[in-house]
Amino acid sequence: MRSLRHYARLLVVQMRTSLTLAVQYRLDFFLEGALALFWLAITLIPLLVVFSRRESVAGWSFPEALVVVGWFSVLKAVLDGGVTPSLNFVVEGVRKGTLDFVLLKPADAQFLVSTARFEPWRILDFLGSIGVLVYAFHRLGRAPRVGDLMVGFALFAVAVILLYSLWILVVSVSFRVVKVDNLSYLFISIFDAGRWPIDVFKGALRLIFTVVFPLALMTTYPAQALLGKLTSAHALLAGTGGLAFAAIARFVWKRALRAYSSASS
Amino acid sequence: MIRARELCKTYRVHRRPPGLLAALRSVVRRRYEEVRALVDVSFAIAPGERVGFLGPNGAGKTTALKILSGLLYPTSGSVTVGEFVPQERRSEFLHMITLVMGQKQQLLWDLPPAETFAMNRALFDLPRREADATQKELVDLLEVGPLIGKPTRQLSLGERMKCELVAALLHRPRVLFLDEPTIGLDVSMQARVRDFIRRYNESTGASVLLTSHYMEDVAALCPRVIVIDKGHLIYDGDLRTLARRIRPEKRITMHFSSLPAPGELDRLGSCVARSELQATLAVPAAQVTEAVRAALGRLPISDISVEDPPLEEIMQEFLGGQPANGRVKSA
Repeated sequence: MRSLRHYARLLVVQMRTSLTLAVQYRLDFFLEGALALFWLAITLIPLLVVFSRRESVAGWSFPEALVVVGWFSVLKAVLDGGVTPSLNFVVEGVRKGTLDFVLLKPADAQFLVSTARFEPWRILDFLGSIGVLVYAFHRLGRAPRVGDLMVGFALFAVAVILLYSLWILVVSVSFRVVKVDNLSYLFISIFDAGRWPIDVFKGALRLIFTVVFPLALMTTYPAQALLGKLTSAHALLAGTGGLAFAAIARFVWKRALRAYSSASS
Repeated sequence: MIRARELCKTYRVHRRPPGLLAALRSVVRRRYEEVRALVDVSFAIAPGERVGFLGPNGAGKTTALKILSGLLYPTSGSVTVGEFVPQERRSEFLHMITLVMGQKQQLLWDLPPAETFAMNRALFDLPRREADATQKELVDLLEVGPLIGKPTRQLSLGERMKCELVAALLHRPRVLFLDEPTIGLDVSMQARVRDFIRRYNESTGASVLLTSHYMEDVAALCPRVIVIDKGHLIYDGDLRTLARRIRPEKRITMHFSSLPAPGELDRLGSCVARSELQATLAVPAAQVTEAVRAALGRLPISDISVEDPPLEEIMQEFLGGQPANGRVKSA
């Protein structure tokens, strides 16, 4: 109980520090906020282009596909605002050896690095994405059912866990190879494919995006849940997948810490 | 308090000759080499002791400190600090130690040091009143009161180091690992940091393990030194004893009111430095009194002083003439 309180306090302190850092440079803060909204608008362009020529793609109508994009953007906002900054902090720490200071603190190192940095202005991105989701349902002419919404929320948690676990795996690699900038670009590029419903992909790619890099579990399934189209088997698969990835990530992280060689003085 | 037994650490490093061609070749085929950073190093340090780690660059000093603080895993051998194995990173262990690195900083670059202090208070779960009292005490001792509200990036190197010390000692550690804490500081700042470390050690009884390139630091702070060279422990014992063993001589520096007669100086000892009206002689310790008496009697002396040879010079000679696996028995 005491340690739970300790970690809750730590989280508050870490978030407060990130906020203080963010507002330290005012112009930067506003620019980042504006950029976040700009990129959200850009995200919609491919979809608008495709659907300007046809009514449906792989069985998905425009508003339905918009639900996937909205969901993808919500997740991307969480990734950009809550996950990527922290993990970039680790990669930097490994390269420069400043991760030493994290490992010398009496708290779980994975918790510390995962909460090290947040980008508060991404909240704009997040709200904008919710706006896209609301608009999509408005186009559909109905609101999601309460039950579907609940499953959607649960899958949102699963998606965040999946995303975070994958990032932890990428970062764990940095303990061995030190420089992983390109790996993180690759990660972000692959994640970008999540804006499309999984049915758009065929064959091996579909399998990879369901099992190896489970984009389907992150964006398509939750969107299907909101639309009331997800089977319980798929919901269960997503839940199990999330837990499995979290366990694997924790295991790999622990192993990777052993390989940390710090940087020379 | 600290015990290291037959500590070995081997790094596997990628090595290639310089040049683009070699770089391209290394993309396809990597050649790895094993570097032995520590080889069978054993020592024990008692509570409250101040010990200096000495050795040339790349000798393995920092590696040893990082193993002791749990950051690196030894390839073989064992370490305990208190009753803990550092690599287990137990909370009680991390509460007990601190590591200060002159080359790296934990202070948040864009924020004032006070923010880092607040974060460390939360990290170490320190009761507010106790943490406030410790912070005030450290801030007063190091005279950094007006600095802790300024962004770290606006502080000078010395100011940053003093704030680093506050951040590192807020949880009142009982073991201090200090890796070149005075690097890059000017002489007076070095002296102040040294003085602070000594006072902390004396008032809290904390053990201090220090590495430094400045022999002054080690001479002023550490009665005992551990010398490491190419990963091997080559001396463990009293610094003065080592100095006397390497250079069993004293330096007599004389200033003259007029030119001394030729040949007179050579009779007193061997000359190590000479200018027109000044000379420094190396004289065996046992003959110093006699030599001084003779000098005062025969030479036009205006000032005279007797000192030990500079420690830098002694260490240079010691490390230069030492076989890699040789070991000088401690005193």
